[in-house]
Amino acid sequence: MSEALDLSLREQAAAIAAGEVDAAELLESTLARIEERNPALNAVVETFPERSREMLAAAPAGPLHGVPVVIKDEWPLPWRAQRFGAAEMLAEPAPAESGPYRALRDAGAVIVGVGNMHELGAGSTGNVSVYGPARNPWDTDRCPGGSSSGPAAAVAARLVAGSVGADGIGSIRYPAAYCGLTGLKPTFGRSAMDGHHMDAVSTTIVSGALCADAADSRLLDSALFGEELKAGDAGGLRIGVIAGEVSEDVDPAVREACEAAIEDLRRETGGTVREVEIPELAVATLATILIANSESLGGITPERLNDLDPELSPLARGLLKFRVLLPAIATVKSHQIRTVARHAVAALFDEVDVLACPTVPAVAPALEAPVVELPSGTMTADEANVRGGALANLTGIPAISVPVGSADGLPVALQLQAAWGRDELLLDAAEAIERANGRRWVEAIPPPARGAEPLEA
Amino acid sequence: MEAANSQDDFIPAGLAAFGIEADEIELAVIGAAYQLFWPPIVELIALDTSEVPAERNLDLSKAPPR
Repeated sequence: MSEALDLSLREQAAAIAAGEVDAAELLESTLARIEERNPALNAVVETFPERSREMLAAAPAGPLHGVPVVIKDEWPLPWRAQRFGAAEMLAEPAPAESGPYRALRDAGAVIVGVGNMHELGAGSTGNVSVYGPARNPWDTDRCPGGSSSGPAAAVAARLVAGSVGADGIGSIRYPAAYCGLTGLKPTFGRSAMDGHHMDAVSTTIVSGALCADAADSRLLDSALFGEELKAGDAGGLRIGVIAGEVSEDVDPAVREACEAAIEDLRRETGGTVREVEIPELAVATLATILIANSESLGGITPERLNDLDPELSPLARGLLKFRVLLPAIATVKSHQIRTVARHAVAALFDEVDVLACPTVPAVAPALEAPVVELPSGTMTADEANVRGGALANLTGIPAISVPVGSADGLPVALQLQAAWGRDELLLDAAEAIERANGRRWVEAIPPPARGAEPLEA
Repeated sequence: MEAANSQDDFIPAGLAAFGIEADEIELAVIGAAYQLFWPPIVELIALDTSEVPAERNLDLSKAPPR
């Protein structure tokens, strides 16, 4: 059964549908693999074998019938309230049928576990969580990325072939980049979101899949979208490389790999490459942070801030209190900057089909000190990563992270962004990159998944 | 006003105004966040955005109407 465990998501689905793989055996093998590999990774924070078996027993003959998946601790399940990676949330968590849960259930998938996440979704590294940090399967002393840390680490280590995360400011794309996966941040509103504790107030968060490659992402995201994301033709792709620090203040090895991937994409699609300017990018990044951090303020009162759970990290406690000091005028102007940014990217998409830049400017940093060395100097990974991750959440456009190389034995990723509703084009472009490089990077397997170096818990 | 003085004055005064308590570690985090975010926030506030048209019925799933 280990062969079935190592199949892609689509191959598992096809093998089960053809009767070549027994879904019940696959479920038990998956649970055993989680038990075996997870202690060194802390990617999965809870399993519920009986619930999973019940889910399989009731699974309809959908496109993911019998396929095991992991879901981020951000989404409630009927039998489990989300914890949001934290000892305390601003909202009251409760068990529920979230939209992603229903989408997975209706597609026939089997949820086998809950994935770890960065505390309160407030970090790009995954090194802070009430469950303890998740670890990167490529190097367990490195960050897996956040906030969808567990879902990414679980797929990279082949605990499962697909997982569901969420992306409020890059939280699918950062861990996809650090773990060598394909991660699509859908157009705002296209993927299942109901049941999220911030569904009524958030204008940045979306659900999305983390998978090894674009074809698996297409299958799992189709379930989350409630519609088939059909394959198309990325021929003649007009690629706009974002000028400025997001492409230039980048580790040289990352820059080199991304530039090579852009050339691969141009050649494979018979397309064109040009540089584009987004002068508003720096202020748009700040605006995204301010908007996202203001949208949960409704749950804050001074009394509550004075009575925070002591298990909440000092960082989270301090930042929650800092939010109260943010001036309203900054949030108002942030919404105006959003309008400016939306018009700016809309105008760009008259001229190019995709915007390209490194997903993150450096490979996964150390868990103990998540800082990165860039040409401009040393900075926190969060500060560096948000430069490239925020624009899609601010404007609502889709974005995808695609593995395109390796540096120091760790994955390197390229981000592509497209106009609203062109999620399918991003998957087409990701597949074009895979073809161009012979699928070298989507088929790269980290040590625990290839059994090369047994991990110690 | 010097930035350091602004931080020293603003953070304790702002928290006190809302009746929010903070221990030393939390104050250090708030101070670090202030140093990181306040300068660009001041720049943002200084922008004259009076000419930016409001996007009515904001629909983030679509391009803005032009």
